[in-house]
Amino acid sequence: MRNTDGPVDVALIGAGGIAGVHLAGWLALGARVRVYSTADAERLVAGHHLAEVAPSLQHALDGADVVDVCTPTFAHPDVVLAAAAAGCDVVCEKPLASTSAVAAEMVDACERAGVRIFPAHVVRFFPEYTAMQRHVAAGGVGDIAVQRFTRSGSRPVRDWFADDDLSGGIVMDQMIHDLDFARWTAGEVERVFARRAVGPDEGGVRGVVSAQAILTHASGAVSYVTGTWAAPGSTFRTTFEVAGTGGIVHHDSVARAPLAIDGGAAGESRGLLPGTAFTESPFLTELRAFLTAFRGGPPPPVSAHDGVQAVRLAEAANASIASGQAVELSNDDVEVLA
Amino acid sequence: MKIGVLSFAHLHAASYVQNLLAMPDVDVLATDPGHAERPGESGGPELAAEFGVDYVDSIDGLLAWRPDGVVVCSENAHHRAHVERAAAAGAHVLCEKPLATSVADAEAMVRACAEAGVHLMVAYPVRFSPAFTALREAVEKGAVGAVRAITGTNNGRLPAGRAWFTDPALAGGGAMTDHTVHVADLVDSLLSGTPAVSVYAQSNRVLHHDDVSVETAGLVSVEYENGVVMTVDCSWSKPDTYPTWGGLTLQVVGSAGVADMDAFGQRVDGFAAEQGTQVWLPYGAGADDALLDAFLEGIRTGVPPQPDGMVGVRTAQIVEAGYASAASGQPVRL
Repeated sequence: MRNTDGPVDVALIGAGGIAGVHLAGWLALGARVRVYSTADAERLVAGHHLAEVAPSLQHALDGADVVDVCTPTFAHPDVVLAAAAAGCDVVCEKPLASTSAVAAEMVDACERAGVRIFPAHVVRFFPEYTAMQRHVAAGGVGDIAVQRFTRSGSRPVRDWFADDDLSGGIVMDQMIHDLDFARWTAGEVERVFARRAVGPDEGGVRGVVSAQAILTHASGAVSYVTGTWAAPGSTFRTTFEVAGTGGIVHHDSVARAPLAIDGGAAGESRGLLPGTAFTESPFLTELRAFLTAFRGGPPPPVSAHDGVQAVRLAEAANASIASGQAVELSNDDVEVLA
Repeated sequence: MKIGVLSFAHLHAASYVQNLLAMPDVDVLATDPGHAERPGESGGPELAAEFGVDYVDSIDGLLAWRPDGVVVCSENAHHRAHVERAAAAGAHVLCEKPLATSVADAEAMVRACAEAGVHLMVAYPVRFSPAFTALREAVEKGAVGAVRAITGTNNGRLPAGRAWFTDPALAGGGAMTDHTVHVADLVDSLLSGTPAVSVYAQSNRVLHHDDVSVETAGLVSVEYENGVVMTVDCSWSKPDTYPTWGGLTLQVVGSAGVADMDAFGQRVDGFAAEQGTQVWLPYGAGADDALLDAFLEGIRTGVPPQPDGMVGVRTAQIVEAGYASAASGQPVRL
């Protein structure tokens, strides 16, 4: 990264839901942000004097220290390759790409260009998850036997999410958070099986989608991961439980809400993104960790390799859904990172 | 009405006996001839005396009493022989879950009871819990729309007090045998008996690996004929020091909403200062009395009660296929 002292120059590519959250994070870190998007960039920067619209991708990349890729998944590879070519460090939304092969190529391209890339697996920065992970990593539950992760919320309305070819479906777009986390806590995965129920669209409303995956880890532990795109208006909810020889930890975002307001204007769903605990935004925590690493600080708790492996797990789950068979994963060629 | 209780091997017998004794129009007689094979564990006439129930020394003695119904609480592997003997004596049968340790045995038991003209009911009490009754009514009324996907948990401590639960020859297996079937029964009820078409399962023995030879954790994934998918965590994953034996939850994802049920969610929480442990005080209506009521009502009316032997067969199919899948690493078609 060229600029290690003054404000960081960030090229934020994309102007959808997650881009707004990232913009707020970058601005909180004192960044100057130029936004390029095929649509909605003007709307996104309105009211932020340290943010401006870039007229083209090249204009956005020119002179940027960091490129933050918040486009739909299918556009990630081109933007990342352009960012690497421009010598910019990269933050890329999850999934890195819709296939692990392309994701690995993107990571290789960044390596060859001498820039770093971090996948935005933000759940690794959610405080309830990091509290659990630290406890588990310190041996708090002993050897892990069985894990459960669930994630549900209203179905995304943008069309590209509904197109498996564009988004990878619920497994690649949403469950990937928990596939990644299950691997973080219980280690490499040897076998993946998944099923998915997709309800028909009714009255212009997209049908409910629910996917269930079972992971078998090299350690012998088993994990189940459930992702649901529920009916419109459904509360965003996550749960997890990790059980081992030394005990159990579990969490339910609904049961552990530190504040609940009933009635009044509270009757609306919190939408696609999870409500967060009373702490700073995990998205801000995430971007700060990435920026710190770009500036020579310690590595963040998620690596480019983790991002590729998460896509590989989601890819295996989608292959299992398509074939009806369990998918065996070889970890012989997986670089083990201490 | 005369109801016999055959064996105290399953400690559920205690609850059945106490509930039956509380019913004014029911005479109860018990036998537990197998207690000699459970050294160091409670049983036999001593336990009967503790329950305050009349006791005979043999199954023949119990059946010679001409009971209208028999509640079979023996070790899983003995269910078939005991159910067949009770049926041959003309008694209706309520059999502790799981119905059998193989599909072949379960089917033979259904045949034997059909040929004898007696009811065969499987003791799945959670089906009678107020929480599940309310869930089923809500689902039937369309509260969540069309059911698409279900996840269940039935986690418990390693069964204690009865060694046979972890003896594969007597129990038929471990956690997958013990804890898959309750959730499978509830889903069978919600889906009106729609058969499973594919089962995938993975299991391990990470927990208690030095103590037992059976699997102690398992995940079982089922697809039903109507496209509904279901996963159950059947692990014995509650620590020995957990505040209670375990629990059972069900989440039903429908086209219009999501329903969450905690079958044992009614409780007062607290903390005991001296012991340094959590206090959990369950409250509300139990399920065993409603289960027994359904069995007795079936005897009175002649209408076969649910869950019947075919539910026992369908849930046994899921367990049997689960073991085959865990062994092969691939799903099993039914």
